[in-house]
Amino acid sequence: MRGFRDAFVLIAVLILQATLVHRIAIAGVRPDLLVAFVVYFAWMRGPVSGVVAGFSVGLLQDMDAPGPLGLNALAKTVVGFLVAKAGFRVHRANVGVRFFFFLTAMLVHDVIYFAVYTAGEFGAFVRQFLFVAIPSAFYTTVLVLLLLSTVERFSRTLLLTDEV
Amino acid sequence: MFRLLFARRADWAAFTIACVLSLSLMTLGRGQQARAIWFVQHTLLAPVNAIVGWVDAGVGLYWEDQKLRKHLAQVQIEADAMRSERLENARLRRLLALSQENPNELTAARVTARSLDRLGGSITIDKGSKDGVLPNRAVITPEGLIGRVEQAEPHEARVLTLLHHDCAVAVRVGRSRVDGVLQWEFGERPILNLLYVSSQEDVKVGDLVLTSGLGGIFPEGVRVGVVSRVGIAENGLMKEVQVKPAVDFRSLEEVLVYMPAGAGRGPRMPAVETSAPDSSGSDSTAAGSAR
Repeated sequence: MRGFRDAFVLIAVLILQATLVHRIAIAGVRPDLLVAFVVYFAWMRGPVSGVVAGFSVGLLQDMDAPGPLGLNALAKTVVGFLVAKAGFRVHRANVGVRFFFFLTAMLVHDVIYFAVYTAGEFGAFVRQFLFVAIPSAFYTTVLVLLLLSTVERFSRTLLLTDEV
Repeated sequence: MFRLLFARRADWAAFTIACVLSLSLMTLGRGQQARAIWFVQHTLLAPVNAIVGWVDAGVGLYWEDQKLRKHLAQVQIEADAMRSERLENARLRRLLALSQENPNELTAARVTARSLDRLGGSITIDKGSKDGVLPNRAVITPEGLIGRVEQAEPHEARVLTLLHHDCAVAVRVGRSRVDGVLQWEFGERPILNLLYVSSQEDVKVGDLVLTSGLGGIFPEGVRVGVVSRVGIAENGLMKEVQVKPAVDFRSLEEVLVYMPAGAGRGPRMPAVETSAPDSSGSDSTAAGSAR
């Protein structure tokens, strides 16, 4: 049952990412719902699930990404693992904590991604980080918090949590 | 031992394996990467791609619909604006034709405000004493007489229209040359009354009423309105004549101020009949006779 629910949420996120995200871009800044999914999934399920989800979703994204195959998988694996480790004891329903976690995790993800993608070219990395990573992280965080609060208003429990 | 280590440190093991796999994939050559991607996309991801494509088409249609609706609304607004400009253009052309026929006598002005009362007895125009618009200048449109300037500021002026009690006009019935004074009267039904017309005078419904030039304010021969009702007063001595103004005072936007050069003859209005075409039995005289 839990597997079906996870698969359903993942497919929903994939569809949203593929169909909606480019239509709600603000000044070219697009949210990355797949990173948000990995962060939230790892946070709720722990390190192993987080690593598996991060690697799988990242690999899926690599199929259609301009960077080298495996880059998204690596970045999301690291993020999934770190979030699960760091978020083990924190209050998962608090909006402020959520905001901090999502924002930091997405920035960490983008640091890894752009550091490899720009092949150590510092100027290009800084430019990508300032003009793509930071706006996108903020946009994604706000959007995800809105989505989560909407969904959780109906479900009464935290989405994707084990505590059913 | 390996199993024991994996059981205790499953998280670290999974992390290490995933990282090694990712790095391995990254070190593959471009050709191998492309082949791997092609394989995954055409086998594992084919159903997902189909679903995404189907949803994307639906969302795209919805988005397209919203965009088209917005575009349609904008086009509608632009069409309305163009229609309004076309009408304004027609009005201005008529004003221009009139002022070209009367060089140095007419100044075009735009109505900038109307009186706040519902009856609309006055308007404000955007020309004032700096433009030569002084009190008691006649104000007209191609349709007919509007009223007179009551008060002039340097750059604007207040005009009393025929629908104001203080704007009485000396007029003449075009067909029978009967003189009278036209004055707005507030009653149960506000109307323009043609006063001081004897019961013996020849005035019929449909007769055109023009300014007579008497009194010196309004030039002679400017169309004022059409006789709409003729009756006899209770004392039997005078006629009660009601006049329908030629101008629709509710839709005034541009007017002309008459600036007399010397003679009291009015501006040459577009050719009109001195009685309405449908008034049976009345003698129609050319407008020229009234000028």
